Parts: sequence; structure tokens; C-alpha cells
Amino acid sequence: MTRTLLVTGAGGVGKTTIAAGTAIAAARKGLRTLVVTVDPARRLASALGIESLGDEPQPHSEEPLLWAAMLDSSASWRAVATRHADPEVAVRLAENEFFQAASEHFPASQAYAAADQAATFVQARAWDLVVVDTPPSGGGIDFFTAPARMADLVGGRLLRWITGGPLPGRRFFYDRAGRPMLRVADSILGSDLLERVAEFLLDLRTTYDGVARRGREIEMVLREASILVITTADPAPVREAVRFYRELPRLASTPEAVIFNRALPKSWLDPTIPAGASPEMQHLVEGWSAEAIRQIDTREEFSARYGAQVATIPWSPSPLNDLEGLAGLMADSSGIPWKSIGFPDVT
Amino acid sequence: MGKSAVAAGLALLAQRHGLRVLAVEMRSAGGLSTHFSTGPLDFEPREMRPGLHAMRVVRSEALLEYLSLQLRLPGIGRFGAVARAFDALATAAPAIREIITMGKILWEVKEDRWDLVVADAPPTGQIGSYLRAPLSITELVPTGRIRSQSEWMRETLRDPKLTQLAVVTMPEELPSTETSETLAWLEQQQLVHDPVVIANRVLGELVDTSTPEGAPEGAPQGAPGGAVGEMTSLHRSLWSEQQHWLKEVPPDLSIPYMFGLFTPGEVAAHMCDELEALA
Repeated sequence: MTRTLLVTGAGGVGKTTIAAGTAIAAARKGLRTLVVTVDPARRLASALGIESLGDEPQPHSEEPLLWAAMLDSSASWRAVATRHADPEVAVRLAENEFFQAASEHFPASQAYAAADQAATFVQARAWDLVVVDTPPSGGGIDFFTAPARMADLVGGRLLRWITGGPLPGRRFFYDRAGRPMLRVADSILGSDLLERVAEFLLDLRTTYDGVARRGREIEMVLREASILVITTADPAPVREAVRFYRELPRLASTPEAVIFNRALPKSWLDPTIPAGASPEMQHLVEGWSAEAIRQIDTREEFSARYGAQVATIPWSPSPLNDLEGLAGLMADSSGIPWKSIGFPDVT
Repeated sequence: MGKSAVAAGLALLAQRHGLRVLAVEMRSAGGLSTHFSTGPLDFEPREMRPGLHAMRVVRSEALLEYLSLQLRLPGIGRFGAVARAFDALATAAPAIREIITMGKILWEVKEDRWDLVVADAPPTGQIGSYLRAPLSITELVPTGRIRSQSEWMRETLRDPKLTQLAVVTMPEELPSTETSETLAWLEQQQLVHDPVVIANRVLGELVDTSTPEGAPEGAPQGAPGGAVGEMTSLHRSLWSEQQHWLKEVPPDLSIPYMFGLFTPGEVAAHMCDELEALA
């Protein structure tokens, strides 16, 4: 059986680093592990042995049980057309200006592509564990709602909104006389924008059955996955983590733990300032100690309010870009519920 | 990165100097309102302090407002239908979505009601589609009123007397990389005047010779070990990592790291003081 671990959280909290560290730890515990990431920092990508975009998982040259893949979301989106539409329609879609714009900008687009691709890897049953570093675009929650939103987009609801009635044939748009609403929209948008968008949506609609069916499969994979939420103790990422704890139980499942990255040691809470320390030194000690107190308060509040399992990973003074550093990071963590995310015998 | 805090600080600073200010939240899950401690913001501007109003751009309401200004048609029963059609378009043709938000903000700029409008914008990685929205519209829509309206929006954005872009970053790898990519893109697109780069959470250099970092074996007695030694060592490592990124992406303004526990209101007030000191 392939287990799935989704690593989610706000941008810039070390999500990719932690996903990579977890994957390395899993591989070293004997699990055949694939880590799937979107746009990692260059140095981290090279530590994982992935130098170029590609949906094809690449085996790591030094770590025998580790594979890595870096998603190309625009390619995945094109696959929606080729997989679910007639060849003729697929070609028309691929050339359509709105299709290209939607694949770049539709808020759920990158998230859908990532979820789709991750589900494909899980269904391949070639790995014991698939670790997915979820894309942060538009709030990571998009990743979980993407299949439903895609089905909405292609399902014709938008089309009905444009026409204000039942699903039209193409002829509908050439009859302006009985449609004052269309004339109003035309005066603002120019005379053919609605038509062009509707043509696009009509083509896109032919993919509906395929996309909806695939969406249900993706949702199933997401529901069965374990989730780790990553944050730091800073207010913005904590707000994002709170949102995950509020919404994920309904959309997927309750996260296994919230991991506070960049944690400071408990011994910093009440440090002894050495006698004769300079004012700069006193200032430094007071500052970092206040920071440690703030972190503990934030973690305790989170745990009390959301009943969350709280884990910590120490603040690493420099970015970790090699396997040993990443493995060491996880070894220094505390409170990660290894068992419930599928690790054998980790203490 | 502290975008919301910087935006709130700028708004407070302008208010302190007697300007009539509107602070605008552009994201549904943004943090601007927390800095004014007033609960969620509405589409209708509300007075936070004397002379300082704040609002949140809600796209559906901005759209209805736009349509009611555009369509002075009596007894139009299909108003909701037009709004829904636009909403559908906004999903399929992304520039429409962004032009509605940008249009509302720039319309407030055009109004004589404010001396300064501060927008707490989407993250650096997404700002491009907003700044480019008026141009995208002219590419998408060959005729129609929205096209001519996008012309004045482009000019408002390009005019350095009217629009200033501030890019808030932190001296770390990911934000610095994203910032330098965005700066290169902005340079090439010329949609706005040269942006101001603000580096947030910049650590000061620790000048203290009594610490053990790099000290030879058998350092003098009294050199701090334990927690204080760890603090010194972490601070120094972070500082030198930051120095690397400050050289890669040199900021116009640097805001010092704010240690410890503060309410969002205190953060904004502090940000305001820091910005005033730098100005």
C-alpha cells in the first residue's frame, strides 16, 4: 500500500525543506519514498538531485530508496485537455487564448495540476510513501478544493451564468435581439468577448465527465492522506495554519500535527546574562529570550485552541541544502507523530 | 514578509502627518485589519483613526458598484444576470478578475476624497497579474468601455506622482529570489515607476568581543556558554546569511528585526516609527 503525506502551510516557512527532510528520513527507515515538490529553491533541488522540471520521478544518486519529482503545472494542465477531450477539441483548446490564460492564472490551476499529478504517483503503487510539498499559491487550501473547483469550471455553471439560462448551443450568441443583458455586457466588454469566452467554455465542457471522475479519484487520495501543517510562530503563517485546522477536517482529514519550524530552545526562556556583559550583549539576550517566550505562548495557544499535536523543528542558522543537514534537521525535531504518518519504529 | 504591517505603518505615518488616508485590503485572508484592531474590514471604508479609513475590496461588491455606475439604464431587471456573467468571465478570463479589484482601488485614487491610498497587495509572486491587468485587458478586448477605462488605469499606474510600488522582502533565500525575479520583470515591463524595496526583519550586527564565536581553545573565563552562547552563535550565523541576501537584493529601506511579543497594533505603531525615522 502506498501512504501519502501532504506537507502544507504558508509560503516561506520551510515546507519544502521539511518535506525533503521527512522523505530522506523515510527512505533511511527502509521506505521506498517519493518526494514531490513545486518550485523548490535551487540549492534544495540540487540536494534532492532534481536539476530540471519534469513530472517523471528521478531516483536519487546517493540515497537508494529516494525518488524526487518537481512538478510542471502548465504541462499537467495541458494533459487535462489531451486526456479528457476529443483530439480535435484538445488541439483547439491548447491554442485557445483563454485556455492558456486559465492554465497560468486560474487560482486552482496550479493546485489542481499538483493534486492530479500527486494522485497519479500514489495510484502507481510503486512507492511505500509519497511526500507531497503542496504549492502555496492562493493559500495552500486551494490544493484541497482544486478538484471540485475544476469540475465547476468545466461543468458549465459559468456558461449558464453568462447566458442567464439553460445551456445554450453555439447559435445562442449570435442572437442579440432578445437578450438585452448581452447587449449591456457588449457595451462594456466589446462585442465578441462573451462569445469567445463562451466558445472556450463550450469546448472545455466536453472534458467535464473525465474531469469530474478524475476529481473524485483525487479527492479520495487526499482524504486518505496524512497531513502535516508547517508554520513558524509569526502571525501571518499562524493565521494560515489556523485556517488549515478549521477547514481540513471537512475537506480532507484532521492534520496529524502542526510543526513549528524555527523553534528556539527552552533554555532561552530565562537565560543568565553573564556578569559584565556589554549593553549590546544584554540587549541581544533580552531580545532572543523574548522571542523564545513568544514562540512558546503561540504554540501553547495553538495546541489549547485546536487540540493540535504540536511539534517543533529547531531554528537552523543557515539553509539546509544537503542530505545530511536535512536528515539532521528531522533528527533534532520533537513531537512529530511518526507512527501515524506511516513510519516504522521511529522514536 | 510583513507586507500588511508595512502597509499599516505607512498608513499610520501619513495619518500622523495630517493626510487623509485610505488603507485597502486586497486579499480576503489578509492581515491588514489586525493591525488596526477593529475586526474584519468591509467594502465600505470605515474610519479607524481620525483621518484614516480602511476597507477591503470585495470583488462581487466592486463589480456591482462598477456596473451601477456604468449602466444607468432605468428598470434594468437583469442587473444580477450581468453581474453573474461578469463573474463567470472573471473566472475564465483572469485579467477581468484583476481589473475589477485594481479598478476599484484606482478609482479611489482618482477621487478627491483621499490624499493617499495604501493598498496591502497580494504577495510578490502574484502582483504581476494585477499590475498588468489594464494592459492585458487592452490585449483581450478590442473595443468596449472597459478598454478605454483601462487606458487611464495604465497611466495612473505609470505616473510616479500618482503611484509608488513598495516591494517588501526579507533577507532570506526564498523571498530574495522571488523579489529579484519580480524586480527584473518589472524593469522589463515598465508598468510602474521603479519600486522601493523594503527589507524587513533585518538583524543588527553583534559587536561584542567577549563572545566565544571563533575564540581559540581555552577561551578566557567568563565567556558566555549555554543559552547565551547559543544565542550569540545563532544571531551571528543569521546575520551573515542576511548580509549575503542584502547584497544580492539591495534594499532602499531596512526595517530592524522586532524581537519579542507584540500585538499587531503595536507592530504597526512600531513600523510607523521606524519608517518615520528612515524617511
